[in-house]
Amino acid sequence: MIDDLPDDPGSVHPVSAAPGPARAGDLLATALAAFGLLAELGETVEDEWTYVTKLVEVGSARLRAAVPDAGGRVPPESAAAIDALAAEAGRITDPHRAIDWLSTFPAVAELALGGGGVIAPARPPAGGA
Amino acid sequence: MRFQDAARDARTIVYAGIQADPLVARLAALAADATYGQRLMARAVMNGESTDPATWRVIFPTVFGPAAPDLERAEALLAASLRVAERGEQVRSQFRGAFVEALAQVLVARRTGDAAVRRERRVLFDGVASEIHPYDLTVETAGREEAWDCKWGARGINADVLNQLDDARRHAVGEERSLRVGLIVFDVRTSCAVRLSQQTAPRQGTAVVTLETLDALAGRKATPG
Repeated sequence: MIDDLPDDPGSVHPVSAAPGPARAGDLLATALAAFGLLAELGETVEDEWTYVTKLVEVGSARLRAAVPDAGGRVPPESAAAIDALAAEAGRITDPHRAIDWLSTFPAVAELALGGGGVIAPARPPAGGA
Repeated sequence: MRFQDAARDARTIVYAGIQADPLVARLAALAADATYGQRLMARAVMNGESTDPATWRVIFPTVFGPAAPDLERAEALLAASLRVAERGEQVRSQFRGAFVEALAQVLVARRTGDAAVRRERRVLFDGVASEIHPYDLTVETAGREEAWDCKWGARGINADVLNQLDDARRHAVGEERSLRVGLIVFDVRTSCAVRLSQQTAPRQGTAVVTLETLDALAGRKATPG
């Protein structure tokens, strides 16, 4: 499980076109709520409980890092993206697919909020023609 | 050390049909030159529930927005990914696996040349029983041999595959040869790191290529965006 969830973790916002800049902290709460739903589903796969728990820990931290200023404003398209992403996560009912989404969700949210992207390869292949 | 075609059983014959599907090649060709954001989008779509392209365009504003790079490729990759998402769960899973293998083949071949890259091959060593599972991808250029296993997600990383790769690397050393071994995972780096941190199997000699670093397979830097 993750912390910082709203009282009702099921209250994921529906897809909507955001009318204007949104408060970053509100988007983070939406993302964390949706991520929490995925976590609850993924945790039902007993064999993967440890992996899921760590994924949730790392993913939550990544989401928070994507929103360094909770009081800041983000563009409407980013707000709409987070709302739509949360709604998509809410459609997941299969616990195994939820685990796959726990892996993907933070990266997608990060990209929607303007972060993420390419990092240097850890160990590029050697040699070659 | 020598390479050999894997024996074909009923499962591999069925899977070969998936591997040969034009949709797999189409996805691989599109993803090979895609940006990080486009590849992440393809992963999300192929793992998603929604099959309405409009939903995904909203979720990925940096991929489909007016300032997005190579919008034509993004749209084509979205359409192809949705064709996978529209399949039943089992077939979808097979398509995703075949896609990662095909993408890896395209990228590795850019570095080594097409002729050097083979699929579904075993690596044999003198006096060592052959592995049960063939490698998804091998490079068989003398002096620069490689063996790769491909995974759709970090969850596919397990002790069996890590042990097999490390065994092969060590057996090659035992024959005074070099065999580069690695995992190609169409998943984000952090999840692979989490998965690897929970494995006790040896992995120090195993390269791990993730969604963020796929372009390294082709011997080039990653494409931002």
